This record gives sequence, structure tokens and C-alpha cells, in this order.
Amino acid sequence: MAKLENQVEHAGDVRQDSTVKKAVNAILPFVSIIILVLIWFIASGYNSRILPSPVAVIQRIGKLLVTPLSGSTLFGHAGISLLRVFISLFFALLLGIPMGILIGWNRTFSATVGTIFELIRPIPSLAWIPLIIVWFGIGELPKIIMVFMAALMPVVVNSYTAIKLLPPLYLDVGRMFNASTDGELLRNVVLPASLPTIFAGVRNATSVGWMVVLAAEMLAAKSGLGFLINRGMESFDVPLIMTGMVLIGVVGALLALATNLIERRLCPWNRGIVSE
Amino acid sequence: MGIDTQNTAKFVKQRRKDNSWYAFLSVATVLVFLLLWELLAIIGVFPPNKVPAPTDVFRALVFKMTNTGPDGATLQVNILASLQVSLSGLLLATLIGVPLGLLMGWYRSFDRMIRPLFEILRPIPPVAWIPLAILWIGVGLQAKAAIIFLSAFVPCVINSYTGIRQTNPTLINVAKTFGAKDFYIFLHVGVPSAVPMIFAGVRVALANAWGTLVAAEMVAASAGLGYMINMARQFNRIDVIVLGMACIGTLGFLFTWLFGLLERKIVKGRTV
Repeated sequence: MAKLENQVEHAGDVRQDSTVKKAVNAILPFVSIIILVLIWFIASGYNSRILPSPVAVIQRIGKLLVTPLSGSTLFGHAGISLLRVFISLFFALLLGIPMGILIGWNRTFSATVGTIFELIRPIPSLAWIPLIIVWFGIGELPKIIMVFMAALMPVVVNSYTAIKLLPPLYLDVGRMFNASTDGELLRNVVLPASLPTIFAGVRNATSVGWMVVLAAEMLAAKSGLGFLINRGMESFDVPLIMTGMVLIGVVGALLALATNLIERRLCPWNRGIVSE
Repeated sequence: MGIDTQNTAKFVKQRRKDNSWYAFLSVATVLVFLLLWELLAIIGVFPPNKVPAPTDVFRALVFKMTNTGPDGATLQVNILASLQVSLSGLLLATLIGVPLGLLMGWYRSFDRMIRPLFEILRPIPPVAWIPLAILWIGVGLQAKAAIIFLSAFVPCVINSYTGIRQTNPTLINVAKTFGAKDFYIFLHVGVPSAVPMIFAGVRVALANAWGTLVAAEMVAASAGLGYMINMARQFNRIDVIVLGMACIGTLGFLFTWLFGLLERKIVKGRTV
């Protein structure tokens, strides 16, 4: 019976919880985290070489905050990785959004550029890495190009899907109200209507870009969070690996949060567009 | 006022003409693209050790069917090895992720308990787990499958969760009125109505699993498409790199297509 009541609440009915239940609900999220940390502590007692305790990781984070490794402190490495992502993302948006809109808007463009795009789309972004290394070496430019390639795909795909999903009614209304040129229609009707879907692509591009920059840095780099992880593996410094992972997680979560906030500012009328 | 049949017929005819013109344009584009690539490679605009001609890639395909160089396995063996890794990771992710997401979506206390863990681990990309996977599990199939698992796990959980949360409350109430137990409702009302979303999640998981393959096989492998690409890079065999990319792309496309067929068969028009 208790569970049934629980279900009623789930279905959206408004019900008063008992205080005991409220208290349990408030504690539950912490219970699992405490259990995880406890297990981590106990497991690290058995083999702290391959699984250092949480304390060791926190100490490593503290150390890296003040002592630079390979020229940068922890935040410096995070900043370098972020900068790489932002530069690539900037160019991916600059090229990807107009390209996606053109593919969605113009059938000739769709049959030519769109076809070539569809041809290379199934190749996963990580699979480009070896080819880009052969073409451009292992400096700064190839990393930017790798992340650019990864971020370009979701931006273009979402942009042209947005245009293709546009209700024809919008266009008809726009024409009826004397939008004389295609450019005017595009600017005043098509773009605002497809902004949420385009932005969902930007959100995807950000998270994919964050993953690819790590992969690129793990292969060959002298800075960045991916470099930290790799250095940790090469010098068997497991706390350093985990330090890198913690920061990757934190920055990744912050990036997701930031894109959500920007999305609310840009298109407040539309929440929760799911891409993919 | 009847429908202007003559004009409609004209319109349909024009439409058909347009469609076949654009279809022709697509095919022509691909041909021109390949031809141009071939020509530029032959003339030597691209250095031959950087860009292989399409015919070189095709020759590499024929070569790799029977030869094991430069990576130590034929193409078929590599494809099978990659399939084994990605499918075992994907299967594990589906078997664990889908029930987990469903339970989290249905039982609120379970959700409250598991969600913080999930939200902590979710932002860490699977690639970042590679060093720990090697340290903890080794360099065999399990480590690679574990990395694939991580990439496929998240969409499975999220979509099952969202799917079951969107169950129509009316259906739940009807079941309740007829005296069904909570777990019975979960199994017979909640889960079936989540199926379209679950399938959408597994479709994303499939793409993720296949996309992470190259990274997972960078770990350490003795065969596999990602391994083949990496070895080809070390031996500077650009034709084999492009061949590997083409294989990964084609197979990924095929899987998505096959999965779409399965989805249509099972979900029957309720796709999301």
C-alpha cells in the first residue's frame, strides 16, 4: 500500500508527505555518496597503488594547485583544454550553422554539399584522429582541427534538421505578410523558429568537443587535462590520473550547465528540445 | 469549386521531375567527388603519402582481405574483433542501463539514492577512463568492453528513465482501479509505454559504442579496426588508415539501419 501511495505521487497528484518520509527522502541522496566514499576507502586499503584513497587524491589536487607540472598548475591545464575547445567550437559554429541552414533551405545545395556531408557523417569523430595526425602532425593546429571536426557534425546536422522540421505554415504566413525575399523569410521566420534545435546541436557539439580534446591531448600533448591523465599513467601516478578525471568531470558538468543557461537566455520560449 | 485536376497533375509531374533531377545530382556529386579526388591524387597535387587515391584504398581493401600486413590480421579478423568488443560493451550497457533507468523512473526513493552517483560519474567521458581501465582490468577484451560500456550506458539509463516517467497517468490509474499491485503496474503498464524511448536510447548507445571503438582499441589490442588504423599510422600506410575509416563508417551506417528495421518491427509506429 505504501508503494501504491508513492506511485500516486509520481503520477503528479499533490499529496502531503509524512515528516518521517520527508526526512528519509532528504537523506537518501547522501546515503549513496557516503557508501561510495566508504567503499573507495576500504578498497584503497587493499591496494593503494592502483586505487589511492580519496585523501591521496585530494592531496594531489592541492599539490597541483600550487606546484606547476609541465609549466602549468591544475587550473592552467584546465584552461588550456577549455581554450582549445572554445576556439574549435567558434569555427565549427561559424561554418556549421550557415552550412546546415543552406543544406536545409536549398535543394541544390542539399543534393551536392549535403550528399558529401552524409557520406562522411557515419565516420566517428575519434576515427579522424589518426588521419589528422598524419596530415598535420601533433602540434596545436591538429588538436583544434580534431575538435572542430567533432563539433561540426552535430551543428550541421541539427541546423538542417531544424529547417526541414519547420512547419510549412510558418513560411506561408511569412509570405502572406509580404516577406518578399528569401533572405527576409530566413531572418525573421526560419531562424527564430529553428533556434532551439540548432542550439541543441551546439550543446551536443560542446560535450563531444570536450571528449575529443581529451582524446587528442592523451595521444600527444604537453599541456591540458588529457595530458595530465596520460602523464599519470606513464609515471604510474594514479592520484594524478584521478585528479585529471575529477577536473574533467567538474569542467564537463560546468560546460553543460553553461550551455543550458545560454539556451534559456537565447530561446526562453522553448525548453527541453532533445537532440540526437 | 472542384479541384483543379489539370493543374494538380502538372504540379505532381513537375515535382517528380524535380525529385529525379536532385537524385541524379546527388549521385553525380559523389562520382565527381571521387573522380576529382582520384585525379588530384594521380597528378600529385596531394603528396601520395598523405592522401591515397580512391583506387589505392580499393586496392588496400582487396589486399587486406587476404594479407595480414601491416597490423597482423586480415580485415575480416579485425572487423570480427571490433564487433566482439563493441557488441559485448553495448549488450552489457543495455542489460544494466535499461533496468536501472526504468527502476529509477518508477521508484522515487531508488531514484533519490542512485541519481547523485549517476550525476557525478556522467560528465566524465569514457575516454578519460582508459588509464584506470588498464590499471584495474588489464589490456584484454574486458578493459575495452568496459570503456565501450561506459559510453553506451548513459543514453540507456537516461532514455529508459524519461520513457517510464512519461507513462500516461490515466493508464496507471486504470490499472490501480482494477486492483493491480504496484510492481504489476510497473511491468505491464510502465515498461511497455517506455519501449519507444528505450529503443531511441539504445540507438544512441549503439552509435556511441561504435564511435568509441577507435579510442578503446588504442588501449592495447592485437586486432580490431581501431587497432588497424593506429598501426597503419605508425607504419605510414595512409591507404589502410582511410580503408579503416571507410570500414568503420560503412559498418556504423549498416548497424544503425539494421537497428532501425528492428525498431520499426517492435515499436510499430510509436517511434519518438
